[in-house]
Amino acid sequence: MYWDYAINLNLDEVVYVHCHQKSEGEHGGTIVLVGQDGVQRSPIIFPKGGHLLAFLSCLENGLLPHGQLDPPLWSQRGKGKVFPRLRRKSRLTLSSTETEVPPIEEETIDYVFQIISKKRREDIMASHELWQSPTCRSPRVHLASTSSSSTTSNKSISIDHSPLPLTPPPHILTGNFQTAATAPSGTSLQILCDTMKRQIISRAFYGWLAYCRHLRTVRTHLSGLVHIDMISGEGAEGGMTREVWTGLMKEDGYVEDAGEAFRLAYYGGVEPDLRKEVWPFLLGHHLFHSTREERVQKDLEFKQSYETTMSEWLAVEAIVRQKDKEVMAVNLAKLSNESTSGTDSVPPNLPTLDNNLSNDVFEDNMSSLSDDSDEAPVVDEYEDALDSNPEPLQKGDEQSNTQPDPQHQAPALIETDPVKVSVGKKPPHQDSLSSGTTRSDSPDEGMGDDMEEEDSKPGGSKNGGQTDDENSSHTNDVPSCTEQNSSCPSDTKPPQDQETGSPLIKTCLISITSNQSMDSGHMSSVSDTMSGHEQAGPSQLTVCMEGEENCPGSRSSCISPVSSNGGVYTTELLESFGLNLHRIDKDVLRCDRNYYYFTPDNLDKLRNIMCTYVWEHLDVGYMQGMCDLVAPILVILDEESLTYACFCCLMDRMAANFPTTGGVMDNHFANMRSLIQILDAEMFELMQQNGDYTHFYFCYRWFLLDFKRELVYDDVFRVWESIWAAQQVSSAHFNLFIALALVELYRDIILANTMDFTDIIKFFNEMAERHDAKAVLSLARDLVLQLQTLIDNK
Amino acid sequence: MATKKKVLLKVIILGDTGVGKTSLMNQYVNRKFSNQYKATIGADFLTKEVMVDDKIVTMQIWDTAGQERFQSLGVAFYRGADCCVLVFDVSAHSSFKSLDSWRDEFLIQASPRDPENFPFVVLGNKVDLEGDRVVSSKKAQQWCQSKNNMPYFETSAKEGQNVEQAFQTIARNALKQESEVELYNEFPGEIKLTGEGSRNNGGDNCAC
Repeated sequence: MYWDYAINLNLDEVVYVHCHQKSEGEHGGTIVLVGQDGVQRSPIIFPKGGHLLAFLSCLENGLLPHGQLDPPLWSQRGKGKVFPRLRRKSRLTLSSTETEVPPIEEETIDYVFQIISKKRREDIMASHELWQSPTCRSPRVHLASTSSSSTTSNKSISIDHSPLPLTPPPHILTGNFQTAATAPSGTSLQILCDTMKRQIISRAFYGWLAYCRHLRTVRTHLSGLVHIDMISGEGAEGGMTREVWTGLMKEDGYVEDAGEAFRLAYYGGVEPDLRKEVWPFLLGHHLFHSTREERVQKDLEFKQSYETTMSEWLAVEAIVRQKDKEVMAVNLAKLSNESTSGTDSVPPNLPTLDNNLSNDVFEDNMSSLSDDSDEAPVVDEYEDALDSNPEPLQKGDEQSNTQPDPQHQAPALIETDPVKVSVGKKPPHQDSLSSGTTRSDSPDEGMGDDMEEEDSKPGGSKNGGQTDDENSSHTNDVPSCTEQNSSCPSDTKPPQDQETGSPLIKTCLISITSNQSMDSGHMSSVSDTMSGHEQAGPSQLTVCMEGEENCPGSRSSCISPVSSNGGVYTTELLESFGLNLHRIDKDVLRCDRNYYYFTPDNLDKLRNIMCTYVWEHLDVGYMQGMCDLVAPILVILDEESLTYACFCCLMDRMAANFPTTGGVMDNHFANMRSLIQILDAEMFELMQQNGDYTHFYFCYRWFLLDFKRELVYDDVFRVWESIWAAQQVSSAHFNLFIALALVELYRDIILANTMDFTDIIKFFNEMAERHDAKAVLSLARDLVLQLQTLIDNK
Repeated sequence: MATKKKVLLKVIILGDTGVGKTSLMNQYVNRKFSNQYKATIGADFLTKEVMVDDKIVTMQIWDTAGQERFQSLGVAFYRGADCCVLVFDVSAHSSFKSLDSWRDEFLIQASPRDPENFPFVVLGNKVDLEGDRVVSSKKAQQWCQSKNNMPYFETSAKEGQNVEQAFQTIARNALKQESEVELYNEFPGEIKLTGEGSRNNGGDNCAC
């Protein structure tokens, strides 16, 4: 810790030490070091109490044996070193063989010491160069006044450090030199050779010892990172082709040699067309030793449970949306209050503002509606609103805050729209969901479409714009619609205009399209089952068809999903899911929109998967980056429930990387550090020089998303399947080796530019999606092999 | 002093997810807007050379992830910041509400020497969505005034409105902060070992 305060001085360059002691100053004294060039170093001011003397004596000791202070300090029994001029008689220091105390003027308490290098003095007898070599480790005094070069010596821990203790203490050596001046040169050479021999042997020994320790460290700390058995990649370069895959698969879809499948995927990758089939295996969703029928069955069950889950959160979403609406209305009302200060005009304005808003949101890519449902501010917003516009909102907001159940809200609210939102939307959900379970052809597609239609997310923007329209249509005031149109003349989206212009037609459209997306043959059976288990079923359908006319029916329909799902939702749940929804919306919208696959339809699928996952893991919630993990799987599998299943498998491994779910990221960094230390000492040294663990934050995104953002899509597929397969082939931490490979691939650039923390972050951020994935993977596999060999080499 | 060596100003942009931090940074540095940005994961930065009062300084603008859960990462990035930019979305009330916690979080993590006077600049972004606005300019200004009079700008990263001006202020305030830090760090001319320092001196003896 003290090293933080270290001052480095190269005493080679210092010739004079000036000491100034003020007799009555507040300081104990000052030392100024003067270099050969006559330049003064910054003065060092000492506190009172012998510190200056202690420093000098320390310096003198440090200078030995190659240099000394001139004049030397005097030693005094009981008191230690003293200044030479002190009155009492003192012994000479041991170090000074020749003492020439220059007369110092009695009055001064200032001193000038000269630092004398003995070597200069011994130049005369330095005719043989031999004795230069043993001292070459520290040719001249390399004494830093307060610090040692601890950072640089860390490099190869023991090789540099350990030999020192065994090496005969330097003063013995120099003692020899000094005697050598008088003794016959033969003896001195003999002594010299002996010393050298000892030194060489001890160094060799310590070097070997260090290597052993090093290996032990590797074994204990890093052996967990790779499998002990090395599985050769011979003949696997071609990867998994359809031919091989059908060869591996037995008659009823049973795959016997799972190991071979993993090996092929690891070394050669999976043929692009085959990924859809193979990925569920690699991810562990499908078991290799299951039959084809079992797998179909499993997928079917999974789909059913997926849809059930979806219906659960969709119901909650409707409530959340409705609350958002209220909050938004209040915020807007407040804002308009602030600006116009006309309290009376607020209630009639509300619908207009609302619609106005929805249009703009629709038009713009940034979804903003989602922001406003942060429930925390709601309460005080309401309170604020209460002050300004007393009666119309009062009842409604009180109840919506305390009782999320929409049934209670409905009668109280003057603007009846929110309730009807759920009316308009929910019944179709119920339809399609239950129908989804009965259909067997391709319900997933239909599902996606249904959701899209019903989810109040018209194509292109999923920000609830449509919900507003529904509201407007339900609020049964044509005036508001016209108001809306007039208030947003700039709205250029034709469909929007159309819809808002004729609300009634539009609502019909919704229900019709959602019906159409279902298999029409199942239509009747669906409504049958609906009416069977839910009284409100048929009436809901009519509500949808007829739009505004059926208020009572709509109310009851609004409760039904809630009650059928086991009762009222707590405010906490609504708030937390609402918050998650908005975050998901924001990120889904921003997810790889430049990639061809992510059309609005497919983004909806992504959103559904994400919401379902979060609904099932509400304790963890949505975390940024999850969308990036779903996306590639969805691109390959292109099917919601299966993607969801595989994503869950993936998250089993990846979830721990996310913050607050575990310190796994730190483990990754620590492992990276160890790996670099073991496999690239030079790089490790650079990173050591530049600081601490923060250096590995440039790997943060790599680990969090398994390099998804670092590579282009095709490479992501390849890298991901390698990582999954590697768990069975070479290492459960293959991501570490890919990270290491990325660093190693650019090591020359990094080293040549001595990149620091920020440089490296910048470098890799700029290199994103420009890496040569093939080279990276092949290097990563080599690195695994290197470590395996190192560990194996006992 | 500032002219003596190249001045690097470290600026951190904070704010809720989706308020437009990345867009603002790119609009300022590259003068372009894209609706293709992805959610920021980890951290990235851009640098830009700017003239502030006849001095050329390099601004290093750090863009961070908006989800508060990722802020534990912050420490590494916040360290040595010269100015902190708080961004909210004028069409999202919650993002405005979060400013308080972003500010606190920053002060805790970056622990600047003088937290009271550490320069913050507040940007209300997305003013191009005027119709969606839910946070009034007045309200935002009030909040900024209550927090040691932080400068407030209404910006549109999409249209570039006010972005240049905002970052000029950011640069100027950051430079002021940086100069103050410089004053403290200026080569002191003398090394005092008094007081606490005497312990270090003792350490010297041991080290020798």
